[in-house]
Order: sequence, then structure tokens, then C-alpha cells
Amino acid sequence: MRIPTSILVLLAFAAQVAGAQEALRSSLSDALHYQSPSGFIRADLSGLVDLEAYFIDRRPPGLIFGNADLFNPRLSLFLDTHLGEQFYSLVQFRADRGGDPRSKPDGDVRVDEYLLRWTPWTDGRVNVQAGKFATVFGKWVQRHDSWQNPFITAPLAYENVNTITDQSAPGSPAAFLARRSVADQKAKWLPVVWGPAYTSGASVFGQVEQWDYAVEFKNAAISSRPTVWDAQNLGWDHPTVSTRLGLTPGAAWNFGVSASRGAYLLPAAEASLPVGRGLGSYAQTTLGTDVLWSHHAWQVWGEALVARLQVPRVGNADTFTYFVETKYKLTPNLFAAVRWNQQLCGTVPDGAGGTQHWDRNLSRVDTALGYRFTRHWQGKLQYSYTHENAPFQQSEQLLAAQFTVKF
Amino acid sequence: MQASIIALVLALATGSVAAQVAASVEGTVALPKPAAPARLNARYAAQAGAWLPPEPPTAVVFLEGAPLPPDDRPATNVVQMVQKGMQFGPGLLAVRKGTRVEFPNADDFYHNVFSYSKAKRFDLGRFLKDEKAPAITFDQPGVVKLYCEIHEHMRGTVVVLETPYFVKTDTNGVYRLTGLPAGLFKLKAWIDEKNSFEQPVDLKPGTTARVNFPGSP
Repeated sequence: MRIPTSILVLLAFAAQVAGAQEALRSSLSDALHYQSPSGFIRADLSGLVDLEAYFIDRRPPGLIFGNADLFNPRLSLFLDTHLGEQFYSLVQFRADRGGDPRSKPDGDVRVDEYLLRWTPWTDGRVNVQAGKFATVFGKWVQRHDSWQNPFITAPLAYENVNTITDQSAPGSPAAFLARRSVADQKAKWLPVVWGPAYTSGASVFGQVEQWDYAVEFKNAAISSRPTVWDAQNLGWDHPTVSTRLGLTPGAAWNFGVSASRGAYLLPAAEASLPVGRGLGSYAQTTLGTDVLWSHHAWQVWGEALVARLQVPRVGNADTFTYFVETKYKLTPNLFAAVRWNQQLCGTVPDGAGGTQHWDRNLSRVDTALGYRFTRHWQGKLQYSYTHENAPFQQSEQLLAAQFTVKF
Repeated sequence: MQASIIALVLALATGSVAAQVAASVEGTVALPKPAAPARLNARYAAQAGAWLPPEPPTAVVFLEGAPLPPDDRPATNVVQMVQKGMQFGPGLLAVRKGTRVEFPNADDFYHNVFSYSKAKRFDLGRFLKDEKAPAITFDQPGVVKLYCEIHEHMRGTVVVLETPYFVKTDTNGVYRLTGLPAGLFKLKAWIDEKNSFEQPVDLKPGTTARVNFPGSP
């Protein structure tokens, strides 16, 4: 594997800028807030600048679009506003080459999240929020930004596209199974959970002693693609309800169970459905469990998900996917991370009296090294190796570098 | 035996004389208004845990250039900076080079302490209330800025000094520094990176000088 020039350039750039003007950046970080004289309004503007480079040996894995190496810059701005003790709002603005790398190769500017939250009691037992925001399903969302994520890519469950599409119904089981032998169609196919799933709707969540809970009512399934996350693009005719219940028996542990159910087919698929069936007849049902443990220099996360997607003219396409991820701080600045991911697919009738696995089983190991130059500069390198249990390999090796400025 | 008694008497006499001729300095440091308390931006979870307001600003006043006392020894003491209510307490700590600082966690959830300062670079990882408090020996003079990676708003500072002549003001900026040698030295007041002052001070044996920062009395 050759080392791509873009990665070397990125590393050289990181080394040059990391040591310079830290005080200025700290001042900038401290200055980007406003507080009214009475203290009732407080607004903080913060952000992340990411410079990413991906070297891909075959076809891009996961939710990396296109067919070649790529450079992916991204600006994320977060406006956090507090109104008194009870109201909070968040707006996340992004400028990049698509929410998923190169999904909009010519560039894109959008508001990824906006929400208004009401917290009637200061102990946080109940919060009510509405808007467009990350799903409550699972635990990965809480570390999905580039500063918190030890890796550059998401876990398999949140980015590996399967042969199920939301845009049309397959004509027959054979047509559905034939998708296994072609490269990922990322503009059509769906993962189990599409990244942070910034869908639109409302949620209620809170924490009571050792327990935390969340329930959301959203306009689209957790597998849905970003183009339908906005309420103006897809309404609540076929909503998805997701929930998570968490237990923190001690500071070191957090356990959670999640569930989600809702229609995943888009209106474009309606014309291709069997007679007498509607979009609401085909649901995605997902159950998940997550665990978090941390102590001293160690952090470990694990999630396991079981998903059932009802496929027209085929039946239930079941899949099991999980990952175990660990991060260890080698020095105050340097950390290493390893993640093992796997996805196994169930069988469906093949239309000829037998059954077959509906998609390719897949295993992937992600490794990463990260270095925090300062509180505002971070660099990461990731190497991933994927193996699909089939003659066809979507992707095998991925090398990625990411440099992040946080302010 | 006789020699020991003579040495003891001489030592006591010297100490007594030193105490009699020691100089003092007192005054006030103009402190900035308390910064607006930050808010936790809990974007993806409910806020957990009670939150105390940050400590009001204080300053460290220290004498620079003064000779060390004849009986000076390296610092071996242990002091604490507690993490409670998602704040460092005290938020500003002045210690002499060689002092060991413990960081007990008084909250029911994880805290972390790390610093990327040149004077001391460390990361204590995540530790609990019931654990033995992790500790760091500050063996280089300088300003060490402390943070918690879990609670980004938390700020702490350890000012590590070569000199044994230092004191922290109260929250009104009032200080009194005693037991100082006589002579002409620099008196410095450090509040934060953006606010520090220095003035010459002429210390006379047995008297108390008055120095206010900024400006003269």
C-alpha cells in the first residue's frame, strides 16, 4: 500500500500549526460567548474544523462515497444558547462535501441539528425537546463528533450499507438476492443506523438517580438517509418511535437497552409495492444493547443490535451486528484505539423453495492512533481491514488521517 | 554533648534574631470581576450532578530575587486540590517547587485532571470518589493550567514557585506576606495569563511595607 501524499501533507501541516499561537486560540475559545447583563441569556459559539484524507484500496467502505482517494474538509459550528435555567437550544451548522464524506462532492452547506429543550426541574429528571437532532438509540451518538470519536469512521452498525433500499420494492426474491453480487449502492441502500440519524421530531428524556431514559417520535427511520431527515422533506405520516433506557450502577459503568420501530420505505417506493400494501406495511424494528466502562486510562464501549427490515415480496431480512471498541491513553497526548466490528445476515426465502443469506456477512477491525497536540488541536490516523464472507469484497483496506481544530 | 547544646542555643538565637528583623509586606491586588459561570452544554444527554459556581478570582503574590533562608529545604509537603460540584477547589493554588498535589474527587461521578502546560504535562485518567486521590509532584516552576476532559468548563491553575516567599490573596485581593528578608526586591502579583503585575519593594527589617497592585499606595 503506498502512503498517499495527502496524508503526509496533512501530518506535516498538523505538526507546523500545532505548536503555534495556542494562547490566541484559547482566547478565541473563551471569547466566543455572550451573556446578557442579568445572566438570563448565555450563548456559546464553538466549532470544529476537520481536514480528512482517505486512501482506499478498492471501493470505499461504509458511508464514504465516490470511488477513489479523497480529501474531505469540514467546518462544524455549534451555537449553544441557554435561556434561564429551563430552556436550551442547539444549532449545528456544517459546511463540507456532504454529511458523509463526498456524498456532495461539490460542497454543501446545511443545518444538521436544531433543537429547543425545556427542562422544568434543574435535576434533569425530565427534558422535553423538539427539532432535528441525533437519535436516542444506542450510545455512539454521544461521541460521534471528530473530537470525541477515537476513530475517523463510525462503527459498522452505523455506516455499513446493506442491500436493502428505501426507494423501491424488489420485483422478486431473486432480484433482491442479486444485489449481493454488486458493489454497494450508497445512493440507494441503507445501513442499520445511518450515523447519528439527525431526524426530525420530539423527545422526552431525563435522569432519575441511577437511571436515564429517552423516548423520541421522529419523522424517519434510524436507517433513513440524510436527505429525508428534514421535516420539509419527509413528514410524520409514517413516524418512527425510538427509546433507550440506561442504568449507571457506578461511575465506571453504563448499561443501556434501545428499541426503535417505524416505516423505512420512502414515498418513492409506494408505486412499486404489492397491491393493497402501503409504506406503513414495511417496518424496520431494531433492538440494541450497549455497555460503557471506563477507568483511569481505559475506555471501552460495546453495542449489539438486532434489526429486522420487512422487505416487500421477500419477507423479513434480519441482521445482527455488534462492535467492541477500546481506547487507551498511552501518554497525556497520545492514545490508541481498537474496534472489532461484525455484521451477520439472516436468511430469506429465495423464491425457489430454499433460503439464502440476504447480504454478505462482514467483519472489520479498526485501529487508530490519536495525538492531542493541545486542547484545541488533534490528529488521528486510522487503518481498517475488512473481510466479507463472499467472493465479492466491497472494500478491504482503508487508511485515513484526520486533523481537527477545536475552538 | 556540649557542642550540641551550643549549636542548639546558636540556632535558637539566630532564629530569634531573624524573626525580630524579618520584614513584611501587605496590600491589595485589584482583582477582575468574577467571570460569568459557564453552562454545561449537554447536547445529547441530561445534565447529571449538582454544579457549584466557580471560585471568585484571587491572586498569588510572591517575592522574586530574595535570598533563600539559611535553613531552607526542598518542599516536601502535600496539598490538595479537590474536584467538587464540577469545579476545582481551590481554583488557584500556589505551591513551591517540589510540592506534591493530590486531586481527590468529591463528586459521585468520574473526574479527570490533565494539563498540557510546559511546566507539567500529565493526565491522571478517570478516577472515582472512593479511590486513593491521584497526585502529581510539581518539580518545575511555572504556571500549570488544569482541565477535566469530562467537564470542559472546569479550570484550575497551579502556580509553581522557586521562592518560599509567597501568599494567596483573599477574594477581596487583600494579602500579607511575612517573614521576608530585608533588601530591594521585586514583588509580583499573578492573577492569570492576562493579568499580572510587579513592583519594586524595599523591605526594611522589622517593618511592614505596603504595596498595592496595580499602582502605588
